Amino acid sequence: MQLLLDDDLVEGATFLCATRRHDIPSTSIRRFHQSREKAYSFLDPDERQEAFARVHQEFFQEWGLRAALDSGLARFQNLQQHLMAAAFRKARVRTEEGADLHVNPDARRRAIVALLPERMASTDRLDPFLNHELQHVSDMVDPAFEYDAEGVSAGASPSQQRLVRERYRLIWDVTIDGRLGRCGFATVATEAERSAEFERAFGFLADRSDRFVQLWEGDHPTHTEVLSLARDPRGFSQTRQIEPGAPCPLCGFATFQWIRAADISAVVLGRIRKDFKEWHEDEALCARCAEMYEATAMEGLPTTIEL
Amino acid sequence: MSKVYNWQLGREMEYPYDAAFPDRQFAFVFNLNRCIGCQSCTMACKSTWTFSKGQEHMWWNNVETKPYGGYPHHWDVKLLSLLEQSNPGGQTWNGQPADVKAPYGQFKGRTVFEAATTHISPEGAQRALGYLPTDEEWASPNRFEDNPSGSEKGHRGQLAFSSGANTPQHKTWFFYLARLCNHCSYPACLAACPRNAIYKRPEDGIVLVDQERCRGYRKCMEACPYKKTLYRGTTRTSEKCIGCFPRVEGRDPDGGGIPMQTRCMAACVGHIRLQGLVQMNADGSWKEDRQHPLYYLVHVAKVALPLYPQFGTEPNGYYIPPRWVPRPYLRQMFGPGVDAAVERYSNPDRELLAVLQLFGKDARMCFRYEIKEGPKVFENSIRGRKFELFDDTVIGYGADGTKIIETKVEEPLHVRPSQHANSI
Repeated sequence: MQLLLDDDLVEGATFLCATRRHDIPSTSIRRFHQSREKAYSFLDPDERQEAFARVHQEFFQEWGLRAALDSGLARFQNLQQHLMAAAFRKARVRTEEGADLHVNPDARRRAIVALLPERMASTDRLDPFLNHELQHVSDMVDPAFEYDAEGVSAGASPSQQRLVRERYRLIWDVTIDGRLGRCGFATVATEAERSAEFERAFGFLADRSDRFVQLWEGDHPTHTEVLSLARDPRGFSQTRQIEPGAPCPLCGFATFQWIRAADISAVVLGRIRKDFKEWHEDEALCARCAEMYEATAMEGLPTTIEL
Repeated sequence: MSKVYNWQLGREMEYPYDAAFPDRQFAFVFNLNRCIGCQSCTMACKSTWTFSKGQEHMWWNNVETKPYGGYPHHWDVKLLSLLEQSNPGGQTWNGQPADVKAPYGQFKGRTVFEAATTHISPEGAQRALGYLPTDEEWASPNRFEDNPSGSEKGHRGQLAFSSGANTPQHKTWFFYLARLCNHCSYPACLAACPRNAIYKRPEDGIVLVDQERCRGYRKCMEACPYKKTLYRGTTRTSEKCIGCFPRVEGRDPDGGGIPMQTRCMAACVGHIRLQGLVQMNADGSWKEDRQHPLYYLVHVAKVALPLYPQFGTEPNGYYIPPRWVPRPYLRQMFGPGVDAAVERYSNPDRELLAVLQLFGKDARMCFRYEIKEGPKVFENSIRGRKFELFDDTVIGYGADGTKIIETKVEEPLHVRPSQHANSI
């Protein structure tokens, strides 16, 4: 596996190490600045760029920054086997940080990790981040995880996609941090922090504490398991219950206002049965659908418009 | 370290170099009561000086919403915190305001230069206490725009901030702080540069970075307490506001050979800005120049105050504080002169009202003003005090004595002739 480094990241990291890391000898820092000063003497922009890149690469290596990335990658054996390359690039803001898997048309895969240069100036901040992000990549390339990037957002409205994506991220993060902790690896969040996050996202689940413990202490989940928990945490799709927040059997949107068949006129029921042959009157429907069918049936309008 | 006199602190202080002052100093006054945060100044500067590759994140002039906004994020909170750590509980003022040499009393705390020795980085002791903002902190220059601070908590069924706009100090408040390089008399950027690449021009006190000498150590960025030097990744050098020096030198064709105000000053639609060149004494205090509008606002009316004078760089940007903002916040930001300044601005006399008319009236720099008295046009009682408005005429003169401004205190009334009714 090839290690690819973004020049901006290398430059930013070495500069910050020179100003922040007390373990680097002052003679080495002086040499770094002298080498940088020499690079300014190149007037041709391309030559100057190359000269700076050489200086920064040299000190990136000398100050153990490359070794820190190598040892981070070495902790995940399956990456060597499944990845063509691991690329590290500079993130400008914290929200840009993270790891992603890119697959070429010829099925060659490379991981791209974006991180702030500030992390490279402190091993306390770098190692937990690398462990967490590389575990994501490790899961993605693990055949047992059955990762499918398309599946996360398939078949839902944009707001549902966002909700599912956020829940998916959290559930996956919980399992990752739990697994890393058990292996003795530092990671980005503690059990208490993840538990609080889980509590906020899944506050509607009565058994949320047990669910969290299962995820935190559980084995390696599959992509399908994580996704099904993110999409339908209460399992409504299996039970078809009339509960607050369950999806309407007609429109599929979550509803908190149910209308029972007994409260709907026969004309309207007829229209619904015509459109949804599998709908059973015990299932009820959401207030929005009831309102729409009421309006169209009374006016004799079609429920859908042929374009 | 040398001992230099800082009149804004009312005392001598330590500075890495001996004091040296220009013949005239670039200075400006911003009336924050009138700033509407339109960013015309920001865009005037951007479109003139920082539109090139590598300058995308660079805003020499910016307008931030206080108290939460900041470019870079929380620059002032971080600096105040560093100073407090260096001198816990000691950052105080006392003493009586005196003449031009100590108009705000005396600062008893530590400046960025005096506190620097406590901060040792791997590269050695700092020359001015500071920190290097991260890329993330330079992002989102207008963060928290229009976000107010409120002292009231909302309750269910009741509007929060219900009495937020009560006078004189609002409970719910924010204000716009327009900033650019202060072209300080004791620049921290200059003090910190290991390459001596930063210099202060002897003719007008504008602080510049020599691009040939700069080697991108970013010590200036670390040291400038106002965070007004910025790094350009494409050239790997630091850049900063150049005070539109060709205009200040009178080389802009529009000025007809006489000094002009900077682009950001001239573009201000709110007429909050007045820029000029003030004469200096040998000790760095301002030479008495009673009819110079900046001298009048800073040393006679004392309505315009330096931004964070406690940093110790003797900034040459002055601000008329926003009068609705809680005083403790203003005192921290503008020093102990705030109460008198707000009081004076809230109850302006005849001369102050006239001088305030000079703001934004002409792009050329005003070096002297005179007032021709006019009739009384209005009389009232404001906040329990008698208030009289005179329709005086204020006349401003350029560097060569040319009359550049003539305007009246009362807003001119234009009556549209009947034949143009409803026409645009």
